[in-house]
Amino acid sequence: MEWVRFLAGGALLLFGLVVSCIATIGVYKFKFVLNRMHAAAMNDTLGILFVLLGLIILNGWNFTSLKMVVIICFFWMASPVASHVIARLEITTDKEKVKEECEVAEDVDF
Amino acid sequence: MSKIREDYENTRWRRFERFVNGEEMPEEKRLELTQAKEGDKEEQLAEITTTQSLRRKRKEERESFRRYWREQQEKEIKEALKQRADWPNTGGVRVFRCVYRFVALLICAAIIIVLLETVAELPRFGSAGTPANSNEVAERYIERGQEETGAVNIVTGMILDYRAFDTLGESHVLFIAACTVLILLRIDHGKDGKTTSAQLAEEDDRKFEPKNDRILQKVAFFLVPCIILFGIYVILNGHISPGGGFSGGAIIGAGLILYLNAFGFKKTERFFTYKTFSTISLCALLFYSVAKCYSFFCGANHLSSGIPLGTAGDIISSGLILPLNICVGCVVACTMYAFYAIFRKGGI
Repeated sequence: MEWVRFLAGGALLLFGLVVSCIATIGVYKFKFVLNRMHAAAMNDTLGILFVLLGLIILNGWNFTSLKMVVIICFFWMASPVASHVIARLEITTDKEKVKEECEVAEDVDF
Repeated sequence: MSKIREDYENTRWRRFERFVNGEEMPEEKRLELTQAKEGDKEEQLAEITTTQSLRRKRKEERESFRRYWREQQEKEIKEALKQRADWPNTGGVRVFRCVYRFVALLICAAIIIVLLETVAELPRFGSAGTPANSNEVAERYIERGQEETGAVNIVTGMILDYRAFDTLGESHVLFIAACTVLILLRIDHGKDGKTTSAQLAEEDDRKFEPKNDRILQKVAFFLVPCIILFGIYVILNGHISPGGGFSGGAIIGAGLILYLNAFGFKKTERFFTYKTFSTISLCALLFYSVAKCYSFFCGANHLSSGIPLGTAGDIISSGLILPLNICVGCVVACTMYAFYAIFRKGGI
C-alpha cells in the first residue's frame, strides 16, 4: 500500500514538473503575446494541479492536505481570470497585431 | 555659516566645472569673434558720416554691405556653435573621459578585491566558532523566547517584543514611502479644484484598461472576502504560526486591489478614501509609538508591559504582540492599497 501511494504520488509530481517544463519552453519559444500567455497559463493551472495532487497523495489526508486543496481551488479560479484580463488589455491596446496573428471576425467589438 | 564668494564665477573649481560641463568655449575663439564684430561696426559708422550727396549713392552699397555683414555674422555664429557642439569631443574633455574611465575601473577592481578577500576570510558555514552560532543573544532567544514573550513563533516574539522598536521604524518607513509617492505622483487639482487639460490627457491612458469585466467581477465577488479573511487569519495567528503583520497586511492589500480592479474606484471610495487611509495609518502608528515609546527612555532595553502573557498558543496571549501585529497589518494594507491607487489615478 505504501509503495502504491509513493509511486502514484511520484508519478503525479513528475507529470506536473513535465507540464511546467513544457510551459516554460513555450513562453520562450512563442513570439506573440497571446500565444505566450497560453503557454504560461498551463503552468498555473495544470502544472500546479498535478504537483499539489502528488503532494496530497504523498502526505495523506490531514489538515495540510485540505490547505493544498484550497490552494488548488484558488489557483483554478484566479489564474484563468488573470490571464483573461491581461489578454483583454493586450487586445484593447494593440488591435492591428491581433488581426495579423489571429482570425478575427469582421464585426467583433473589443 | 559659509561665506559667499563674490568671484565664484572665476574660481578654479567653477572653471573646472564649466570645463567638465562643456559650457566654456576656447578663450581665443571668443576674442576673435568679438574683435571681428567691432571692426565691422566701425567701418559702417564711418560710412554713415559721409556727405549727403554721397549718401544716396552709397545707400545701395550700404544695403549690400549690411546684407554681407549679416551673412558674415551668421556664418561666424554658426561656426562658433559648431565648434561648441564639437567641444566635448576635442582636447581636454577626451583626456578627462579617459582618466574617468580608468579611475572607475580602478575603484571597481579595488572593491571587488576587498569583497572577495572578506568572503575568503569568513568562517566555514555551520562551524561552531562562527559569531552567529556562539552568540548569546540568539541562544537566549531560542531558549527563553517563548517563556518571556509568550509567542510560539520565535520570529514574531523577536521582532515585536525584543526588537519592537526596530519594527516601529520599519512601519514608519512604509508610511513615509506612501507619503513620498503621494507627494510625487498626486495629480494636483489646483486652487479652484479643476484639473487642467494636460492633466486630463495624462489620465487618459486609463481608458484603455478593460472595465466592468463580467468574469473578473464574478470571481472577485467570491475571492475578495476569502482573501481578506485569510489576511486577517494570518495577522491574528502571527504569534502562533508563521506570518504576522507584514505578510497579513500585504494579503489584505492585495484583496483590496483586486476589488478595486473588478469594481472600479466608485465602489471602493464608499469605504476607502484618503481620509480612511490617513486615519487608519495615523491611529495604528500612534498606538504603536505610545505602546513602545518606553524604549526611548530605557535605551531599548526590555521592559515588561504588565499585561499577563496568558497560555502560549492561544490567540489572546503574549501581551502586546497581538495588538502590535494588528497595527502593523493595518499600516501595510493601507500602504499597499494607497500605492496602487496613487500610481493608477494619482490619488487615493
